Amino acid sequence: MKRKNIFSLLLIIGLLSIALVACGPKATETAAPAAEATEAPVVEEPTEAPAEKFTIGISNPFISSEYRTQMIAELIEVNKEYMDQGITNELVIESADTDVAGQIQQLQNLMAKNVDAILVNPGDVNGLNATLEEAVSKGIIVISVDQELDVPNVYNVGIDQKEWAKTSAQWLAEKMGGTGNIVEIEGFPGHPANVARMNGVDEVLANYPDIKVLAKDTGKWDEATGQQVMSNFLAAYPNLDGYWTQDGMAIGALQAVMAANPAKFPIGVGEGRCQFLKLWQDVLKDHPDFDTIAVANPPGVSPTGLRIAVHMLMGEKVDETKLGGVNGLSFVIPVPVVITGDNLQEGLDICKDKPDAYLLDGIMTDQEVVDAFFK
Amino acid sequence: MKRWSWRYLVNRYPAFFPLILLVISIVVNAILQPNLLSLEMINNNLRVFMPMLLLAVGQTFVMIGGGIDISVGGIVSIVNTILATQVGLTGTPETMWKFVFLVILAGLLAGALNGFFIAILRLEPIITTYATGFLYAGLALFILPNPGGGIPQKISEIYRTTTPLGIPLAIYIIVIILLIWWLIRSTRFGRYLYAVGGNAQAAYETAVPVRTIVFSTYVISGLFSAFAGIAITMLSGSGNAEIGAGMILTSITAVVIGGTAFSGGVGGVAGPMMGAITLGLIQNIVSFSHISTWWETLVKASIIVAALAAPGIIDLFRKKGTRI
Repeated sequence: MKRKNIFSLLLIIGLLSIALVACGPKATETAAPAAEATEAPVVEEPTEAPAEKFTIGISNPFISSEYRTQMIAELIEVNKEYMDQGITNELVIESADTDVAGQIQQLQNLMAKNVDAILVNPGDVNGLNATLEEAVSKGIIVISVDQELDVPNVYNVGIDQKEWAKTSAQWLAEKMGGTGNIVEIEGFPGHPANVARMNGVDEVLANYPDIKVLAKDTGKWDEATGQQVMSNFLAAYPNLDGYWTQDGMAIGALQAVMAANPAKFPIGVGEGRCQFLKLWQDVLKDHPDFDTIAVANPPGVSPTGLRIAVHMLMGEKVDETKLGGVNGLSFVIPVPVVITGDNLQEGLDICKDKPDAYLLDGIMTDQEVVDAFFK
Repeated sequence: MKRWSWRYLVNRYPAFFPLILLVISIVVNAILQPNLLSLEMINNNLRVFMPMLLLAVGQTFVMIGGGIDISVGGIVSIVNTILATQVGLTGTPETMWKFVFLVILAGLLAGALNGFFIAILRLEPIITTYATGFLYAGLALFILPNPGGGIPQKISEIYRTTTPLGIPLAIYIIVIILLIWWLIRSTRFGRYLYAVGGNAQAAYETAVPVRTIVFSTYVISGLFSAFAGIAITMLSGSGNAEIGAGMILTSITAVVIGGTAFSGGVGGVAGPMMGAITLGLIQNIVSFSHISTWWETLVKASIIVAALAAPGIIDLFRKKGTRI
């Protein structure tokens, strides 16, 4: 049977080429590092041990948001500082929309690239645990940014999501004089940050028994969905006194209020985005007594995490008494900016030369990081 | 047609073109990542590709039979959430295996439901499985509303790090699937499957049990979706009702890259398995080629589009040139 022969021949060719490839790199292995050495001396080179540069890897599984875009851009910028000082190499960035398996692949690739530290913005609370532990066991410093993980020896850097939500909830409750009917628009139900935030809101509202939560719905952290949900609420409860919402959905909610244009605007919570501050300014023209609050959710926690990683790589000792969180390894970063009616102009000044999508931000300086967390 | 001609090879062996793609991907990836073919890397990569590979195998049966299964992601999510909630991070191996058995049954049941709608009630496969996919995803969300839970790390390690006789576990799974496929192909079921996918009406007229065959393809797809769900749960060790959502279109892409056509009646299991591995390797290639972050998605998508279009483009050029 000739046909069978062709197939087996093809198989053999296939296997041979696989085998060839298997041998190929080994032969060139000796040559390759020599050629690459000039541009990226990643591997330990004992001859110039003191001048050895560190390579830091980034793993990010979600790209379609201004938060992540700003985060990556800032990471590159801050790393540039260290590159100019001869401390680090170019960042190795793994950033694409992907699922748990994809992020595990990202992390494995970072390990294969021999990075010294990994900053990971985890897309799943537990799904990366085993892979991150593998990285730790290879001597890599692993820092989870923006989302706290409970993995031994994995550090966390981020704001306290619960406190973050409490700030605006407290403002809302006080502004309403501790009484009235409100609605809540939350992010993804079940997302850890959303759960922490809603717990914070509940905690604050527990102190104000006269504030009634009439309804609660998800706006999926999406402007358009937020707007639709708010429109529905306004139709159902025309005499609404206030609403609590967060990131991304606040612009939609405010636009819904403006469209419905009720006699009395409900008191609402805003977000720390330039577009929102500009909208706020517009509303003030027709409603001079309008007030809201914008609490920054800073992408800058990641570059701050990068600074922490660099200092750890340089052998400086972390003052563990300054750390907190679920596994006692969390660097809690204070919220850098809170904007209310009193300091709206300050916020608008920040936004003057920024795109609408810019999020109010703050990156701790090198010195601040050392003072706050290192011995 | 000459036996060595391009068209002959492509038509006679649906796995021929995917094999070329796979070899190219391996070569390119190995050039960019010299340690790619170390045992550790092979294991690391295959354990990540395995869930998609299993899903592609199930999808292949459905697509050879002329259908399509969009509910696979929902089934993966159900399996994942059942294991994550019922076994838990502190569960015993016995509970784990008990629930592995149970989720396989769940997968079969979900597949049977699809099969019932499509083979018995004669509903359109794409709409039906789109709808049941929501049903399954919704059920998964009901089982586990918040991401969390999981399986004990020890059990997860079985999947992640076992290399019997020094060979990664995934290789054994691939070989077993290929063996079973070769057995199935030569059975009556195998021949019927191609007949139904090629021309259901003609198959029906020649007394092929079309309903049974179509029904069974969805049950098989459900079964492999369950396997994929078990694999991804053991890979990640955690539960998330959204876990299967992103896998649906990728599984179909893997099958099509693997030389199994939407029109049904052609293809095999080997091609889609290679397709799934190729898709994973493309991600590695993009990652190791130091492309600027903002370009990564575009470059990756372009490679996939090129891989999908390649057979058609080659055909086009061959038609213009001299015929062999």
